[in-house]
Amino acid sequence: MDIGSLKKQSDLSYSIAIAKRNALEKAQSRQIIVYNEHIFRADPQTICVARTLKETQDTFFILDTNNNPVEITDPGDFLSKLIERNQESLNSYHQMYKTFENKGD
Amino acid sequence: MTRGVLLFCFDTEHTRYHKILEKCVHLIRKNIKLEITVVTDYATFKKTKPLGFINYKFIEPEPGNTKMNLSWNNKDRHMAYELSPYDTTLVMDIDYFCYTDNLLQFMDTGYDFLIPDQVHDLTQRNTFHQRVWSMIPMVWATVFVFRKTAKSKRIFDMIKYVKQHYQYFNQLYRIFAQNLRNDYVFAIALQQLNGFVGYDTFPFALSTLPPDCEIVKMTDDGIAWRYNDQINWIEQQDVHVLNKEVYNV
Repeated sequence: MDIGSLKKQSDLSYSIAIAKRNALEKAQSRQIIVYNEHIFRADPQTICVARTLKETQDTFFILDTNNNPVEITDPGDFLSKLIERNQESLNSYHQMYKTFENKGD
Repeated sequence: MTRGVLLFCFDTEHTRYHKILEKCVHLIRKNIKLEITVVTDYATFKKTKPLGFINYKFIEPEPGNTKMNLSWNNKDRHMAYELSPYDTTLVMDIDYFCYTDNLLQFMDTGYDFLIPDQVHDLTQRNTFHQRVWSMIPMVWATVFVFRKTAKSKRIFDMIKYVKQHYQYFNQLYRIFAQNLRNDYVFAIALQQLNGFVGYDTFPFALSTLPPDCEIVKMTDDGIAWRYNDQINWIEQQDVHVLNKEVYNV
């Protein structure tokens, strides 16, 4: 590989890395939802906790992003909103990611 | 319960902030869809093109602050509580462009005051590693939400106090920048008022383009910038643009 090609490939990789990091940040920002006047992150951890607690309890308590406790009185509604927002953000990230895959060819 | 966006906009001899305001208002209308109030002076208002239904509040900006040796009218943010006509207010810098409705949901929380304490450098250079420039964790007064409650009033009273004695606090917290920055004023006020043990924040990082990024294109969907001979682009992502030449794009 000559130095020109190397620089071109390196620049491209750098651009892709930045775009990917920014797309991930965008997805993480989008995963934040407000429910019952409290703020939650629709990430795998929150979804798993909500799912686990929902299996055994009709209502449960969970911490919001500022570590304040919240009573969830409709676990099904809460869980579906978390999953909806999580998948919406990751779907958008996935679409962006697909555009990166072919750029190095 | 009334809800709305409060913006501060004052032209200076070097920067036509009203041109940035026009772009900011357009995106708020498109994505946030809340009523808007602009705090400005008459000279700036006269230069601003008609923006449709907007509330204006006229004040004379407090002079005396600079940024990179240019005049900078940013000393009036402490009056947001008194100037806002809304029960719940989203205060934004006019160089914060809302390409999503992400901020809208924070108007419906039970929190009295929310402000971001994290930033994301879109060029991946960690430009805003502010911890080395002062002894206090900084917040970003670029965007914050408050409700008109007794707690918020106390916060703004403290902000006024810190601003009034800023030289003292600036030395106390060993802040490198000597000019008045709302980010530090708010951070100091929140820390002092909350007994030095933290406060409620937004859980997201403020996506920001450093001042050395030249904005080359702005559309209704996103923004492109040039840095180091490379052009990058984001879309459907809120962004804080520090290069004030954005009004030329």
